[in-house]
Amino acid sequence: MLPQVRGLLWALVLAVVVLLAAAPARADVDSDFATQLHGYGIYGPRDYNAWLGKITCKRLATRLDRNAFDSAKFLSTNLPRGTTTQQAWQFLDAALATYCPEQLSVISAVATH
Amino acid sequence: MLRTVSTLVRTSIALGACVVAAVMWCGPAGADSTDDYPIPKRIWQTSCDAEQVLAAVRDTSPVYYERYMIDKSNRPADVQQAAVDRINWFFSLTPAARRAYSEEVATNIYGEPMAQRWGNWAKAFFNNKGVAARATDVCLNYPRGDMSVWDWPVR
Repeated sequence: MLPQVRGLLWALVLAVVVLLAAAPARADVDSDFATQLHGYGIYGPRDYNAWLGKITCKRLATRLDRNAFDSAKFLSTNLPRGTTTQQAWQFLDAALATYCPEQLSVISAVATH
Repeated sequence: MLRTVSTLVRTSIALGACVVAAVMWCGPAGADSTDDYPIPKRIWQTSCDAEQVLAAVRDTSPVYYERYMIDKSNRPADVQQAAVDRINWFFSLTPAARRAYSEEVATNIYGEPMAQRWGNWAKAFFNNKGVAARATDVCLNYPRGDMSVWDWPVR
C-alpha cells in the first residue's frame, strides 16, 4: 500500500475514534425547562422562557412580587397573548421547581386560601 | 486606430463626468430625526417620569430591563449615577424640548455627552418602540420618583 494511502486511512480511523469518544450532548437545565413547558402547550423561544423563569424567581426573592398571585400576573403579562391562566400557573410551578425550589412554598401558600 | 483612441478618450471623459455628477448630487449623509427616531414618540410625549417608565419596563419587558440593569451594573458608579441623573433631566423637559433633544442627538454625535461614557445609557427608554409602547401604556399606575426601581440585584 502506498504510504500516503496508509496515512489517510490512519487519519480516518483516528477521526472515527474521536467522534465515538465524544460524550453525547447533555441537555441543560433550560432545555429541560422548555421540554416541560411544551408539555403544557407553552412554546416560544427557549432562552426567553428561561429568562422569564429566572426573573420570576428573582422578583419573589426581592419581594417585588409578594405572593404567587403577583407572580402569575407578571407571567400572564409577559407570556404570549392567548396564554391561559392555567398555563401561567403551570409556568410558575415549573419555573420555581427548576430555578428556585426554595420558593415553591408560595404556591402551596395560596392553595390553602 | 486614431479614431478608436479618440472614441475611448471621449467615452472616458463622459463616464468621469457622470461619476462626478453622481457624487455631487448625493448630499451629505443625512441623519435627521423623525417623530419615532431616535426617541420613540410615546417616550417624548408621555407624562410619566423616568422611574415610572422604568418600573413599567421592568414589569412589561422584563428581559429587556434585566439586560439594561446588567449593563448598568458593569459601569463605574459615577457613570451609573450620571445616567440616572441624565434620564431624570430628560423627563423633566417638556415634550417639545424632548423632541428637539431627539433631533439634536440624531444630528450631532457629540450632542449627548453621556453616550461617550456609556453607549447604551438610555437603552431601556429610547431604543425600542415596542418596549416604549408597552411601558407607556401602564406607567401612570406606578409612583412618581420611586428611586428603588434603579436598585436591582444582578448576578
